[in-house]
Amino acid sequence: MLNHRSIYAIASGVALLVMALVAVPDIATAGDETKYPDLRGQWMGVLRARPGLPGQPSFDASKPWGKGQEAPLTAEYQAILEENLKSQKEGGTFDWLGATCLGFGMPLIAYGFEPQEFIITPETTYILINWVEHNRRIYTDGRDWPKEIEPTLTGYSIGRWIDEDGDGRYDVLEVETRGFKGPRHYDAAGVPLHHDNQSVFKERIYLDKNDKNILRNEITVYDHALTRPWTVTRDLRRNPNPQPTWREFICTENNPYVRIDKETYYLSADGMLMPMRKGQPAPDLRHFTDAQK
Amino acid sequence: MLYRGSIGAIVLTATLCATIAGAQAWDESKYPDLTGQWVRADGSRGVGRYDPTKPPARGQEAPLTAEYQAIYEANLADQAQGGQGIDPTYRCLSPGMPRIMHAYSPMEVVVTPKTTHILIEHIHDSRRIHTDGRGWPEDMDENPMFAGYSIGRWIDEDGAGRYDALVVETRGLKNPRTYDASGIPFHADGKTVIKERIYLDKADPNILHDEITVIDNALTRPWTVTKNYRRVAAKGPIWWREDICVENNVHVVIGKEDYFLSADGLLMPIKKDQPPPDLRYFNLPRK
Repeated sequence: MLNHRSIYAIASGVALLVMALVAVPDIATAGDETKYPDLRGQWMGVLRARPGLPGQPSFDASKPWGKGQEAPLTAEYQAILEENLKSQKEGGTFDWLGATCLGFGMPLIAYGFEPQEFIITPETTYILINWVEHNRRIYTDGRDWPKEIEPTLTGYSIGRWIDEDGDGRYDVLEVETRGFKGPRHYDAAGVPLHHDNQSVFKERIYLDKNDKNILRNEITVYDHALTRPWTVTRDLRRNPNPQPTWREFICTENNPYVRIDKETYYLSADGMLMPMRKGQPAPDLRHFTDAQK
Repeated sequence: MLYRGSIGAIVLTATLCATIAGAQAWDESKYPDLTGQWVRADGSRGVGRYDPTKPPARGQEAPLTAEYQAIYEANLADQAQGGQGIDPTYRCLSPGMPRIMHAYSPMEVVVTPKTTHILIEHIHDSRRIHTDGRGWPEDMDENPMFAGYSIGRWIDEDGAGRYDALVVETRGLKNPRTYDASGIPFHADGKTVIKERIYLDKADPNILHDEITVIDNALTRPWTVTKNYRRVAAKGPIWWREDICVENNVHVVIGKEDYFLSADGLLMPIKKDQPPPDLRYFNLPRK
């Protein structure tokens, strides 16, 4: 016959078991958001790690853009960067796709120029980019790389959630991204990625241990234009507003750049075509008849 | 009998723990399974139309007021001469609501407790439908958007204990928008209200319906249609294409004129006797 101590022990055991089952989430249960870090809300890119950095945001947020990045470029790609800088001095836009709203690609889309949103489902983590590129899908369903990847500026991403501290809850999303097209750059100064588009990006995305409103992304680039892998850590900051405004960014809406043939022109305030650089030839109008001219 | 009280307290604590944890977790079994890739199921792949049961353009028989029917006719006349009329999408501006729901590119619906996302890569066609019980934002009309501002509510219509329809209202819409490429217009006042009921077909859960009603001052009455989408059957992972509108766009707008980029990349007129662009800012006109 059970005495009250035994009953107490059994009841305590049952209670502990129930609590333990609650604490260790069922990995097989779809949609159990308690397994994942809380990434809800609107995330704004910390585009410059310290104030006063000259130029536009770049890959390493703690350094100035362009040469200031001290990118470990090969001699060939250092020369391409010099050419891109020269093109800009003359008013050109080199092969920068962003000028004419053709997109930016990895890694620029990870910086958070427009506010980002993370949606976690068991099979996919979505990063809504809300820029020229729409979103990143990071597949976390255990799939392998497809035999053929249709190249994109965003790339094809496979990820894995890991529980690093063993507390029964995932804390890091590890991502690998391949399958690119180009040209892509690290910044608007024209720090280039290799034209073979064989870049591989590895990311570790996690919340700061001390401040859950800071999301860190450790990004390592493996690229043939580099002499070694290049690693930086970028931050995104959560907007404290629980109902933030999501601006609609339509790149073409007020874009003054026009691409005709291989030339980029500028639309003046009066709506007319302007040269971007000294001595730039006007567009070829051979398809207009003399009467039209 | 202290020990019985203790047992009760322990069991109660454990039960409470389980209940609290359950409340934190999101119960996706309450929602319909909308996962996968959805494409248009109306046999109208080539031409996106508002009412998929009717032919495009005038065949839509839009209940326009006389004033807006005249605007539409002028737009059709411009298109007949090679122009684009009032359709803004050729400049890679978003088609906006409700035209977004033509699903020009494959659609994904991602349901979360507070927001249902409709992801459509095309121009900028993705939508956020807020289902967290919020009201309309105060600055909605000052910051209109092509996709508008959408508030939704999941409902359990048949009382089965599971949501079966998402009811949505969209306001705060930005112009220019048209119902389709033929240029069926919305009122210039931007006061369009769109109501939707999105639900899976009872007989075939691989068919998704969207009943859309547009209330707009360019219409003589609310205009209701039902759009249908088919879930793509896939044995392996689904492929999502990257769609960047500008990439293959052959239209160039200079001032108030629209031109075309020919296959050789040069500027072409789109209309008979269209003047070329004014090149007064160039010192060195091309010979």
